[in-house]
Amino acid sequence: MKKRTIQIVAKQVWVHTLKNKSSFWLISFFNILLCFALISGYYHHYNQQKTVKAYSHDVRERWESNPDKHPHRMAHYGYVVFREKFPLSFFDFGMDSYVGNVVFLEAHKQNTINFSEASLSNGLLRFGEISVGMILQLLLPLLVFFWGFGLITEERQHGTLRILLTQGVSWQELIIGKAVGLFYLSLTTYLPCFLLAFVFLLLDASTYHNVEIIGRFLILIISYLSYFFILSLLAVYVSSRSKSSKTSLVSLIGFWLFFALILPKVSQVAGKNLFISPSKIEFDTAIEQELIEQGDSHNPNDPHFKKIKDSLLKAYHVDSTHKLPFNYGGYIMREGERLSAETYQKHQIKLIQVYQKQQNLIRLTAPLNPLIAIKNISMALSGTDYIAYNNFQNQVETYRYHLAQTMNELQMKYISNRVKNSADKNARIEKKHWEEFPDFKAEFLPLRAVFMNEIISFLSLISWIIGFWLLIKYSGKHLKAF
Amino acid sequence: MLIANNLTKKYGDKIALNNLNLNIKTGEIFALLGQNGAGKTTTINCFLGFIKPTSGEATIHGVSVTNHSAETKQYIAYIPETVMLYPNLTGVENLAFFSSLANFNYSKADLSSFLTKAGLQESAHHQAIKSYSKGMRQKVGIAIAVAKKAIALLLDEPTSGLDPKASNEFSEILRELSTNGTSILMATHDIFRAKEVAHRIGIMKEGNLVSEIEAKDISANELEQLYLQTV
Amino acid sequence: MVALLIKNFIRSKGLLVGLAILFISGIISLNIGKQFLEKNEKIIQKTSHFQKENIDRYVQYMNKEMGLLLYYVRFGLVNETPNIVGLSIGQRDINPSLHNVTIRNLEEQKYTTDLMNPMYQLIGNMDLSFVIIYFFPLIIIAFGFNLVSEEKEEGTWSLVLSQTANTQKMLRLKAGVRYVSILSVLFLLLLIAKFYLSIPFDIYFTVYILTAFFYISFWFSLVWLVVSFHKNSSQNALILLTSWITLTIIVPALMNALVIQLYPIPEAFSTVLDSRDGYHSQWDKAKEPTIEKFHQLYPQLVKYNHPKDKDFSWLWYYAMQQMGDETAVASSKKLKEKIKQRENLSKKLGLWVPTIHTQLTMNTLCFSDITNYLAFIEALERFHEQKRMYFYPKIFSDTPVSSEKWDTFSLAYFKNQPVINLYMVLLPYLIISTLCLLWANINFNRKKYNL
Repeated sequence: MKKRTIQIVAKQVWVHTLKNKSSFWLISFFNILLCFALISGYYHHYNQQKTVKAYSHDVRERWESNPDKHPHRMAHYGYVVFREKFPLSFFDFGMDSYVGNVVFLEAHKQNTINFSEASLSNGLLRFGEISVGMILQLLLPLLVFFWGFGLITEERQHGTLRILLTQGVSWQELIIGKAVGLFYLSLTTYLPCFLLAFVFLLLDASTYHNVEIIGRFLILIISYLSYFFILSLLAVYVSSRSKSSKTSLVSLIGFWLFFALILPKVSQVAGKNLFISPSKIEFDTAIEQELIEQGDSHNPNDPHFKKIKDSLLKAYHVDSTHKLPFNYGGYIMREGERLSAETYQKHQIKLIQVYQKQQNLIRLTAPLNPLIAIKNISMALSGTDYIAYNNFQNQVETYRYHLAQTMNELQMKYISNRVKNSADKNARIEKKHWEEFPDFKAEFLPLRAVFMNEIISFLSLISWIIGFWLLIKYSGKHLKAF
Repeated sequence: MLIANNLTKKYGDKIALNNLNLNIKTGEIFALLGQNGAGKTTTINCFLGFIKPTSGEATIHGVSVTNHSAETKQYIAYIPETVMLYPNLTGVENLAFFSSLANFNYSKADLSSFLTKAGLQESAHHQAIKSYSKGMRQKVGIAIAVAKKAIALLLDEPTSGLDPKASNEFSEILRELSTNGTSILMATHDIFRAKEVAHRIGIMKEGNLVSEIEAKDISANELEQLYLQTV
Repeated sequence: MVALLIKNFIRSKGLLVGLAILFISGIISLNIGKQFLEKNEKIIQKTSHFQKENIDRYVQYMNKEMGLLLYYVRFGLVNETPNIVGLSIGQRDINPSLHNVTIRNLEEQKYTTDLMNPMYQLIGNMDLSFVIIYFFPLIIIAFGFNLVSEEKEEGTWSLVLSQTANTQKMLRLKAGVRYVSILSVLFLLLLIAKFYLSIPFDIYFTVYILTAFFYISFWFSLVWLVVSFHKNSSQNALILLTSWITLTIIVPALMNALVIQLYPIPEAFSTVLDSRDGYHSQWDKAKEPTIEKFHQLYPQLVKYNHPKDKDFSWLWYYAMQQMGDETAVASSKKLKEKIKQRENLSKKLGLWVPTIHTQLTMNTLCFSDITNYLAFIEALERFHEQKRMYFYPKIFSDTPVSSEKWDTFSLAYFKNQPVINLYMVLLPYLIISTLCLLWANINFNRKKYNL
């Protein structure tokens, strides 16, 4: 393959397409749309972050300004955590609108994370959201296909293809050259938006707290470039195999529908049937059932907790829980919290596994569907995929557990066994303990974990390119000059 | 029957047809000769009402095509250079369809006999058009024209691409139609065919009708000489 | 002529494939609807069973005090899911169709989210409405984009023109054949849906059928309009596909961005904080003001009071719980208002975008829009209040647990009956389609004899 020939062919695609007046309008339209999506996405993200920060600050203030009280009261007063969005989430909204934003954390109970954007929206949301990711994944391929469907068929129809081939251009050079030209053309639509996004990132303070963001952004850009190169190859290849421009266009639109609508929906239906996920009521009842079997920390006659009591009395050589050197109620609650949190965690992990299996089924269609590959990669790197959310869920539960257990330990340490109930004056501890308890701070997943989770998608993108390479290399014989 | 009165058609500055005057009588066959772009097809399209003349008028049976296009449609039939038909329908079905468009509803037997008269072998009547050769399609085109019982027939290079035998059969049919009183205007490149079948011959150049000859007054060779001199 | 047009139509393979695609995806979508209904039904049955078990267990163990028992006991309210939901699942996969609440602070309970794979919510359900809104137009475009241009490109148009002065009649019949074929698939699917999902033939189903019919007619009018410009096949295909993308993706997404931007809902955050502080801060305050406020809310309960010498009483406890709800009243109300405003704005703007109008209308008709959920939440509030009113006197007067017939507390049901304004539903289609047809008519008349 001669590099010069490829360049000449690519340049001809570029010149030929840009001569068409409609190209100017299409390029302008997509640039405007992308920049609009970027700016509005960033604006929305910025406002959202501001709200989250303000409310989180409020929560902290309210927490610290609580008066002296019984620690268990504080465990029930609890904490409210608002989900902070990943700095890159303005690029691709992913699942962000479908996952919860607020969670109330208290002892004994794992509340759901509520108020997803979807729960506050109507059917309009289900048409999809306009974000840079969505335009790049869904709409721009159509433009690439539109520019690319006739690249070979038109040459064939005009008879120029035979001349090209007799001039010594090989099929491989022709297809690669045309694809490269088409890829260059596609750059005109999204390169400005990428640059603008990069500027936004540099202006955002959070970027400097987490330098990985720049790395994530670069991988994101490279992935999108590969995606568009694959689409260009696909368009030109289909054009080379089609009898007429019409069949080429129809096949490419067919591919688009298959990628964007049919395959995701079909894999969803399959996943739902193969991996059954429990409803909330089933999930809760299963946990409740198990907890009942383990014992009830509120019930003094419960055999499990009676055993603990007896062994404690024995170990400390006392005849009554009142004489224990720590608060017995706090001890029991700590034990209860541990048990219930473990049980919950066990079920939660099982649930997440089902979800992961369901999502993996979709992920596994990536070798058939580059759109799903890039969608998953884009969501993952933008921090709007499921593991990013799950990471938040886990941190929230860890924090909740830590809060409940800290309060239980404070109770064990400072509350006498003699106090009757939490209203007793002696049952209060100083408010400085509240200040000592750290604020919730969300940590984002490291790039490595994100990358490993989407390894299938990355490999799929690479194999699409290699696959096309081989296809083009060995398919010259089957192509027709007229 | 077919009259052109100072018929002129301009596309911007370009004159496609310049003050054309024609009068084709009942039962007469008139052949228009000329190079590509001489204005033959424009003339036919004016009679068909496909294009509106810039000035002048084309009338059929005394009715102006420009003003009463719908009415003149019923007087004329048309055979294009290549008759294109619905590939999924058979010959009979195509004929039935186009006849029904012109408000004729023939029986199966009638339709078949039109096709036979046009020279299409019976075995092909019920085959899909997909399998037809150009000559066979042309014959269906003739059958469509004949079935319309039009008093004027407009032909745009109807024999181009036909083999000599088919071309000859075609001339036969035209003669028969003319004897029955159909006026025929035909544009053609084929000088010999024109001499053989037409009553009068017109030679066109750059939108003008430069000469008009009675076919019986001239031999084929003389006609060819004249044609070459003119264009 | 019609018979021959039908023959010609049927003999081209692509067209039957198109109809088959519609039919098969329609059947799949009905199956998805059916599964959704079955899963929902299963959940309700299980909940009903669990509620019984739950009450029995607590009545058995916590039978000393009514107040303590009702701390635990949950009462379920079901948002009835008529079978027609299977046609348009709408927001039903996001908002739960069932809430289980204790008589404590409602604000902390009513926003509970169901467990759902968010990836699936993102992809969305392929219900019949989806097939109608997305797939039908594509096939309509495929059937109609070259209605005139194929005749021109295949060379038959000149012959047609020479045969008749009334070409529009033939084109109308040609389009009619396609229209009828698509409609038959639609009606066949709806007929199957009727029996497969056992949907009652009521006003909602009737209007659903009308909506689908008018939506499909709109797309035919649009195709008819585009075709009337007598452009070539690839231009027509391009124009129509661009319209499809604009109407099904770009415009709805932009409108959604606009609605969210115009009505941000920070109240979702503040209700949580308000209700939490409203309740929990009471523990640190003097009991009298709390009880006084409670008495102001419920004058009929004034006769019950907190015993002066005690640190704790159920009256005080539930009064504190009540304060959680009372404090959040303002932001909670505002939250609901904002959601309603979002819905109203989208409905109004959507009137002139047939895809949006169809989706929102179908969701309303199928009891799966946000309005339905808000109505359910309001019913839940009444249900909760009613339970409180029933149990408060019993708790405060320390009525023995055994005096209550606990087995009568089974699941309660709520059914919302949306009011359908037929004019508002159908008029937009009529106006838009008529405009398309009139414009097309002008074009056709102007280009009557165009080659």
